[in-house]
Amino acid sequence: MSGPLVVVDALARSFAGVPAVREVSFTVGAGEIHALCGHNGAGKSTVVRMLSGQLAPDAGRIVLDGEAADLRSRQVAQRLGVALVDQELSVVPALTVLENMTLGDIDAPLVTRRRAAVRRCRELLDEMGLDRLRPGQLVATLSMGERQLVEIAKALSQRARVVILDEPTATLSEAESRRVFAAVRRVAARGCAVIFVSHRLPEVLELCDTVTVLRDGRRVVTAPAADLTVDRLIVHMLGETPHRLETSRRPDPDLTHALRIEHLRVPGRLADFTLTARAGRIYALAGQLGSGASDVLRALAGLHARATGSVQLRDRAVAFRSPVGAARAGIAFVSNDRKGEGLFLDKPVAGNLVATRLDRLGRGPLVAAGRERRTARSLAELAGLPPDRLADPVLTLSGGNQQKVFVGRSLGRPDVHVLLLDEPTRGVDIGGRAAIHRLLRDAAEAGLVVVFASTELEELLELGDVILTMRDGRVVDTYPGGADGAVLMRDMTEGKDAA
Amino acid sequence: MMSLLTAPPAAAVRARRARPGRLAVALAVLVVVLLPVAVTTERFLTLGNARAILASAALVGITAIGATLVMIAGSAVSMAASQTATVVAMVFLATLDRGLTVATLLALLTGVVVTAVQGLAVGYWEANPIVLTIAAGFAIGGGAIWFSGGTPVSAAAGGYEILNATPLGLPLAVYVLLVLAVLAEWILRRTTAGRQLYLVGENRAAARAAGLPVGRVTVVAWAFFGLCLAVTGVFLASFNTSATTNLAGTLTLDAIAAVLVGGTAIAGGKGSALRTLGGALLISVISDVLLLRGYETGVQILVKGLLVLAVVVLVHLRGRR
Repeated sequence: MSGPLVVVDALARSFAGVPAVREVSFTVGAGEIHALCGHNGAGKSTVVRMLSGQLAPDAGRIVLDGEAADLRSRQVAQRLGVALVDQELSVVPALTVLENMTLGDIDAPLVTRRRAAVRRCRELLDEMGLDRLRPGQLVATLSMGERQLVEIAKALSQRARVVILDEPTATLSEAESRRVFAAVRRVAARGCAVIFVSHRLPEVLELCDTVTVLRDGRRVVTAPAADLTVDRLIVHMLGETPHRLETSRRPDPDLTHALRIEHLRVPGRLADFTLTARAGRIYALAGQLGSGASDVLRALAGLHARATGSVQLRDRAVAFRSPVGAARAGIAFVSNDRKGEGLFLDKPVAGNLVATRLDRLGRGPLVAAGRERRTARSLAELAGLPPDRLADPVLTLSGGNQQKVFVGRSLGRPDVHVLLLDEPTRGVDIGGRAAIHRLLRDAAEAGLVVVFASTELEELLELGDVILTMRDGRVVDTYPGGADGAVLMRDMTEGKDAA
Repeated sequence: MMSLLTAPPAAAVRARRARPGRLAVALAVLVVVLLPVAVTTERFLTLGNARAILASAALVGITAIGATLVMIAGSAVSMAASQTATVVAMVFLATLDRGLTVATLLALLTGVVVTAVQGLAVGYWEANPIVLTIAAGFAIGGGAIWFSGGTPVSAAAGGYEILNATPLGLPLAVYVLLVLAVLAEWILRRTTAGRQLYLVGENRAAARAAGLPVGRVTVVAWAFFGLCLAVTGVFLASFNTSATTNLAGTLTLDAIAAVLVGGTAIAGGKGSALRTLGGALLISVISDVLLLRGYETGVQILVKGLLVLAVVVLVHLRGRR
């Protein structure tokens, strides 16, 4: 072996002045499976995006096979043999396996020689352990795990030397994950360098040769997997445990004010969820992507039409199979997709603040202009928004202020009893984050039931009065606020059964 | 970390907002070009001609006012306007023997129901409005042929003449257009449903997740559109005194042109009824000038097409972010 295949040398990158990756270096040899670990915001995705040509580094260089590589675009990266298998699949369900394999292949001949292509596809599928699949089969008929494997086979078919897998198993079952691991080992055995990004620590230790841990954009440690344990990894990832925002209030003892959820299920996403959430308390759902934490909130907000179970609020059954029904029962939802499913970006701040209460701002079907203005102004003050920006489109605000608008929209409404938030501070800077945490604490103190889902340990520990860890669509355990971060992390990543 | 939105400085935002919009600039240029042409056109500056301009804008304008609400709600356009107006005209003429009031009410009901049902499919079942209304257009047009047996439907009785009255020298339809434009503007600005229309049109997924009544609001918009179509149909019937299956001609596309020239966003979320009124009048003025200067119909249609194209390019295609 003549030197490492991939050398990452002092890579750095900032966004809007905030450093996301600071002088990160590591190397990956041919045939090596190298894990990148760290919890959300640690800089993993930024490193992956720089390696795959989606993002230019501010400083530092990437050396492939002894030559400094200028990865200007994904196409260039692909030509240099870097393949990325994303957490969001890029296979096209409406095309066949074979068509997907050749899709976007820059070396594909102009006129496809079908028989040769089929033979090559067959070889690759066999190599992935997909001997049951036919090249002519539609991808739509495959399971998620099989699609993931097709994606890896596609990367190989394009003569990749470096294969990056970003959370490939986040949405897969145990058995499907096994097949992906077997495939990844085969890829490495062919002499590729594999970079594996995952939240699931036991699988990282089982699969990978070397582990690099990132925290706050810096490399904390690089060590052989054999020298590490899950506990030691967690200690590296966490650093110091944050302190939480204490509450002075006792939980509302009146159970009629509570949100009572019994056996909430969403086919394929949430196995079973039961919780009595009392007014005045903040409930934190701790779970990684695919754990079901986000689905609990979406089901309660009426966005999972196939959800089943029973939900009671103020002694009335909540019609949670439609968003209108959930809203009418007094449930407000703050999505994790602020742009796509949250704010009306072209509309002014004031219009967004009153968007969901227009029917309460006047008599009958009319909106009273004076009352609307006063409401918007008082909400802006409540949410800590600059009053001179009320007429500006929300689009022009910073991420933090946008999120304040999104949360503020549901505050100060006597008809809202429950506030659900999915990743309440995604894309928000540190200052905005503290302000939003304060808002949520105030909302709970004002007598609301607050339930949020997050993948960020600090946030869970800072805000949660009750923390429920979730994995594979089920609750792993329930903890009082101020629980041990390492215990939560272990629940989220490996569940209870593992040692 | 990924989606950090960097905000432009507040001063820059204000400067941008203080500048006149592209539509205003486009209109100013148009007026500067058009004014000398119009003034030097023989017989343009006469009372009779002003009446002719208003009269020719009236019917397309009424339909366009309704189409504005549908477009703001994000349902793009309806391709079934002509057919609906035709069926309404036939119902009106065929039922005139029961009196003008009954005939008018039946006609309005027909327009509202036929169109609101399409709104139901778009609002609640997320049907693609363009595909749906093309299909509906065929169905309604087929219904019209079936109903009429392919021959012109003539008035079952008199009584419709009052609709052709011209108080102060202007057709009744012009007054109805103005009333409907003001009514639509009031609905859009002051009522809960109107305000929610803009929200649904700008970001349907966000409106849905917020628990806004997306379906109901969409149906309201389409029902109002149906009312406007029916009014157009009734005036068409009384003006022509009989209805053939292609009575409404190019109404569908003319109405869309008026809405677009008025600057309502084809993707929804932005627009106003009064601007549509302006769009209808502008198209009417240009057609009038061309007519007076002796250009053929083909040239008139060509210029209308170029005008819509120019506005769409200037206002609508400036990449939404």
